[in-house]
Amino acid sequence: MTVTIYLSNDTSAKAAGADRLAAAWADVPDVHVVRTSSRGAFFLEPLVERDGPTGRLLWPRAKSEDLTRICNGAGGIALADVPFLAQQPRAVFARFGTAQPLSLEEYRAHGGWLGCERANDLPSEAVIAEMKSSGLRGRGGAAFPVWHKWEAARQHSADQKYVVANADEGDAGTYCDRMIMEGEPFRLIEGMLICAKAIGADRGYIYCRWEYPAAAVTMQAAIGEAERAGLLTIDKRPFRLEVFRGAGSYVCGEETALLSSLEGGRGMVKVRPPYPAEAGLYGKPTVVSNVLTFATVAEIMARGADWHAALGTEGSKGLMALQLGGRIRQPGLVEIPFGATLADVLERFGGGMVEGSRFKAVQVGGPLGSLFPESQL
Amino acid sequence: MSPSETVAFHRELERVLELHRPKPGEPANILRTLIAVQRALGYVPANAIGPVAEELQVPEAHVAGVLSYYPDLHAAPRGRRVVRVCLGEACVANRSPAVVAEVQRILGIGIGETTKDGRTTLERVYCLGNCGVGPTVMIDETIYGRVCPLDMEKVLRQVDDRPV
Repeated sequence: MTVTIYLSNDTSAKAAGADRLAAAWADVPDVHVVRTSSRGAFFLEPLVERDGPTGRLLWPRAKSEDLTRICNGAGGIALADVPFLAQQPRAVFARFGTAQPLSLEEYRAHGGWLGCERANDLPSEAVIAEMKSSGLRGRGGAAFPVWHKWEAARQHSADQKYVVANADEGDAGTYCDRMIMEGEPFRLIEGMLICAKAIGADRGYIYCRWEYPAAAVTMQAAIGEAERAGLLTIDKRPFRLEVFRGAGSYVCGEETALLSSLEGGRGMVKVRPPYPAEAGLYGKPTVVSNVLTFATVAEIMARGADWHAALGTEGSKGLMALQLGGRIRQPGLVEIPFGATLADVLERFGGGMVEGSRFKAVQVGGPLGSLFPESQL
Repeated sequence: MSPSETVAFHRELERVLELHRPKPGEPANILRTLIAVQRALGYVPANAIGPVAEELQVPEAHVAGVLSYYPDLHAAPRGRRVVRVCLGEACVANRSPAVVAEVQRILGIGIGETTKDGRTTLERVYCLGNCGVGPTVMIDETIYGRVCPLDMEKVLRQVDDRPV
């Protein structure tokens, strides 16, 4: 009987040795290795999984000589017994670690395209109303209400409108956008299509930083797959989507600089107003949002605005993807509702400091972020 | 450049520009074109600026301006292989400066420099989104995680054994 083994294809899983395991086991008879997205529990990578009677069984930090043990089913840990994962009520990242990133079939089987299909059946105003009542705010840092940008872009009539995904995830320590593009690229495409439907755009760009070569390649392949399957359409019109690679400018993560760069120029910041929703790419109405925002849009359209509005705090609805890194025992992705304190997050997920290291402070955000000493956690 | 090298250079440049010529109705894109030139030639030499400007029908100053703006566009040749060590906060917390120091010792060059044989350039980078398994080193487009200084000699040797 053939044993199916799941192994992540994510950049960080590969960097931790997933490719070495895949290569070592490639020619083993009756072993079938399937490459999936990553759960984001990077301290467990390379993480091997198998289907068990009640869900996946996990073999963390696997070595090639563990194969016999894995094939015999010996020593596998149930997902529920890994607190880091079991304690996360995930939404956007709920299916991460289970499916093959470029399989449209698996994406659909896990509820993919439901959001897009629902949006297609609604008038633009109703899609925007859904975003408004969901309380979704941009996840890239500025936390601007998403519906507001969409409404402005919808109301500005123009011969051409654009949807742009900001995949210039430049703040050091962040990688949730990379994980989405490498792990569930169709979710980003779906979110962008919903936005295109709402504002009446028929072209889109994914501005991907060069530091993410695998994300750019996966997105490009996913666009091809979606196009072949006839899914890149809105209101029966084709939606043209392209990946654009940046060239190492941190400033290009700012939306006006990003648009200048997308036009092929220097990434110079412009004074707003006018906002991109009125005069953006080539002076046309443009919605720029980051990758996680678009991924959340797809989830909201699939589950309904009320689901999202019921989570989080008064001012910040929904869930947020946090990325833990540094000298801690359990670095990885944590997706939980807004409202937790840093102390709470570190205690439940961080696993404490690596042996021999002393806690000094938590840095939140990248170069422009803040430092929090223990007294302020 | 010798006369024959100059001819080969211009032929290659022409080929790239032809390949990336904007489709009718599409605006010229300087950045995209320069990335394509760099991918083909390894860098963007000064004598490519004129032909690019002419092809895209933009002033040469615009092309030179874009070239000088982007950290990952290079106006001078670099090593055939580029080793990048991450100095983002998460990697620094995990001792990546010690990795940089070891690579500098092995290669005998500083950050931003290229070995005398033209083989390897050393650069620093700020976050490759690999913080979960840092410290991180990127060699060309391959990303290595949980790197410790003592591994570097072996990693660099393995890369050296690969065909260029």
